[in-house]
Amino acid sequence: MTTAIHQNAPAGDQARDGLLAANDAAHTPSESVANIHRLLGAQGYISSEAIATALFIAQSLEKPMLVEGPPGVGKTELAKAVSAITGKPLIRLQCYEGLDEAKALYEWKYSKQLLYTQVLKDKLADVLSGAEGLKASVARLHEFDDTFFSEEFLEPRPLLKALWEPEGAVLLIDEIDKADDEFEAFLLELLSDYQISIPELGTIKARQKPIVFLTSNNTRDLSDALKRRCLHLHIPFPDQALERAIIRSRVPDAEEKLRTQLVAFVQSLREMDLKKVPAISETIDWARTLVLLHARELDRTLVENTLNVLLKFQDDIERVGEKLNDLVGKARSNLR
Amino acid sequence: MTQVLGEFIKALREADVRISPSEVIDAEAVLGLVGYEDRMLLAHGLSQSLAKSDADKEAFWGVFDRFFAFAPFTPPEPANSAAGDCDAGEQGPDEQADGDDEGAGVTGMASSGGSGQGSGKATGKGEGKPGDKASSGQDAGMLGPSGESLTMAEELAQLLEAGDSASLALRLAEAAQQAGLSDIRFFTQRGMYQWRILQLMGSEELGRWIDQAEGGSNAAAAARATRLRGLRAGLHEQVREYVETQMQLFAGNEGRRLREDMLASQRIGLIERSDMQIMQGLVRKMAKRLVSLHSRRRTRARRGTLDARRTIRANIQFEGVPFHTIWKRTKVDRPKVMLICDVSGSVAQVSRFLLLFLHSLHEVLPEVRSFAFSSNLGEVTELFDNYPPDVAMGRTLQRFGGSTDYGHAFRDFEQLALDDVDRRTTVIILGDARNNNGDPRAEILQTIQQRAKRVLFLNPEHRSRWGSGDSVMPIYATYCNRAISCGSLKDLERVVTDLLRTAA
Repeated sequence: MTTAIHQNAPAGDQARDGLLAANDAAHTPSESVANIHRLLGAQGYISSEAIATALFIAQSLEKPMLVEGPPGVGKTELAKAVSAITGKPLIRLQCYEGLDEAKALYEWKYSKQLLYTQVLKDKLADVLSGAEGLKASVARLHEFDDTFFSEEFLEPRPLLKALWEPEGAVLLIDEIDKADDEFEAFLLELLSDYQISIPELGTIKARQKPIVFLTSNNTRDLSDALKRRCLHLHIPFPDQALERAIIRSRVPDAEEKLRTQLVAFVQSLREMDLKKVPAISETIDWARTLVLLHARELDRTLVENTLNVLLKFQDDIERVGEKLNDLVGKARSNLR
Repeated sequence: MTQVLGEFIKALREADVRISPSEVIDAEAVLGLVGYEDRMLLAHGLSQSLAKSDADKEAFWGVFDRFFAFAPFTPPEPANSAAGDCDAGEQGPDEQADGDDEGAGVTGMASSGGSGQGSGKATGKGEGKPGDKASSGQDAGMLGPSGESLTMAEELAQLLEAGDSASLALRLAEAAQQAGLSDIRFFTQRGMYQWRILQLMGSEELGRWIDQAEGGSNAAAAARATRLRGLRAGLHEQVREYVETQMQLFAGNEGRRLREDMLASQRIGLIERSDMQIMQGLVRKMAKRLVSLHSRRRTRARRGTLDARRTIRANIQFEGVPFHTIWKRTKVDRPKVMLICDVSGSVAQVSRFLLLFLHSLHEVLPEVRSFAFSSNLGEVTELFDNYPPDVAMGRTLQRFGGSTDYGHAFRDFEQLALDDVDRRTTVIILGDARNNNGDPRAEILQTIQQRAKRVLFLNPEHRSRWGSGDSVMPIYATYCNRAISCGSLKDLERVVTDLLRTAA
């Protein structure tokens, strides 16, 4: 039963995207998920099972995906990786307080409209020549009305751009929790129907449904209406094995021994009560730093000198500094 | 919608996960997509379509594990009841292991709540071992020539004797489904459901047969009956446990909710010590709800006032024609709250919860200062910010407990914090205003009121008792913007909500 349904999904629109289209050989859902995992891996994104499953489901159901998790666990990277796999352009909308329609969706090219009016002013006599009375003149002018509010004068912003992309796009709405409530409400139409309404033009439908990612750092609760329309993926900090795999993929120059130790060290930091615990992106930065310094394994002075790559608050650095001997020792012994 | 999914969602809702119909549709689509084959795939898929916050996710995994657990049906030891029958004794464990294995493999995803799909598969599997059945049938035939064709009771008896745990679990699940076990609400219903399930499984009929056979003349049948009696008792135990776990799943929260509701509206002074833990949880929950309600309106565009400077700047490109109008946005002030709590005797409990409440509202009330007094007054803000409520309250009582003197307390407050009271400050006083006939020093309260945005007086006593005996409430009430009788948690919540609303 499940296989039948699954086969229907990609068969419907074969060329829709690389994620499922490459699945022709694979048939069971588990295989598709494994395949997505492999494709992401090829892009240097090592995914957990939850991530691959979420992508598979989001693709099959054509649903936007809301990705939550602490900063730096690869929420944005996920969208980038998908864009690279599918070959669709990545359109990114960074949210912030005060973001409004004009910056997210579309804007009229006022200056261009203004310019055309100026030009038209001179030609006004020609246009209106032969028109009898006010009524006829107004009717003539009406024809220009439509010209002024046409796509010609529309400045597409990220959301509209994503809908207009002929081959479809990967739309990343980053840090949606930073935007205002009103903006959230205004996204709803886009998320549920892949269309937006512009009063002057009517409803604009997506030429090709974009793959939509929303990310949130959970600084505030998103509205239920928004959550309802999305699949929800929570990316936690990775476990040790996964993080090692990520470092192996991202910083291939780091030697096995160093990799194991540095991951163990970072993992032990995450258990501490810090203002900001290091995320994957910090681990990667740190690994790169250590490789630059030709480190082959961790030692106290090395860690002490590079700790600022990993920790972003002086308080945290001091707190970790007190226990550095212990932590480094533990990370080193972890090897055996 | 498949029945499994329906019941699973019912169980999730019971665990306080909010699921809308559109999410149910999503979940169904996910189910159609991934099927039951891969447990983790299903779990991830459903969690992504049904549980959409951290708390929900946690609840989801708990319910998923319990709901889709394949409860291995441990048959009662055949060795106990059939001591002489070494053949059955030998066969028993073998069969059991076999049944468990297959059960886990094939019905691995069949819910314990019973499912159309699961049952279809498992029945198919049942056919796979007719040999066993036949042999046990022979056995039965030899022992108990009852002459009946395979009735429900006979079938059940055979399953019990064979120790076929997978089939038994399946029958149990089917019976539970027929009995509508997922509708269970209260623990008093357990017996009823248990009985109904057993009846549907044919146990009642079996019981009658046993009674009959034991009293009968056929020695073989009587022996079999005795053996079955033991097995049947084991079955009853199994069903009881099953009903128990299902109730946990479908109604585990019902009783708690009822209790919480009751506690919330009861006068705090009357609540027993043993319930205090629940009360604290309740306060935290209320606080969380208020935070999510009020954290959303930190800024508010005040339509109506044009921000001229920014409008002109934004429209320079259009020759100053104001295409964009920019309106002033004001940051909404969060209120500064000063809390003055009487911690003597009867009022202490109420104070405790108000203190806990306000200090749980950090995110929306960033500035809460609290003071406690009986006669001497002192600041306890740090205690409540840094220690768990029990510890903080204990230390507060230790330091400030004693007989009440409002006059003295107001004088202390005047020296300690009056300078910090400004027109953004809300002062909340909690106490019974029973002053032991001392000087009320109401003029200090008047000064406070003149400086502060407002003064609220919360009195846990009922309004009709204000002014009786040594209560100086009527005097204080004249210098308060509002005087409220506030005895239960619900009252407290109302006051705090009000505080947040007027502040925003």
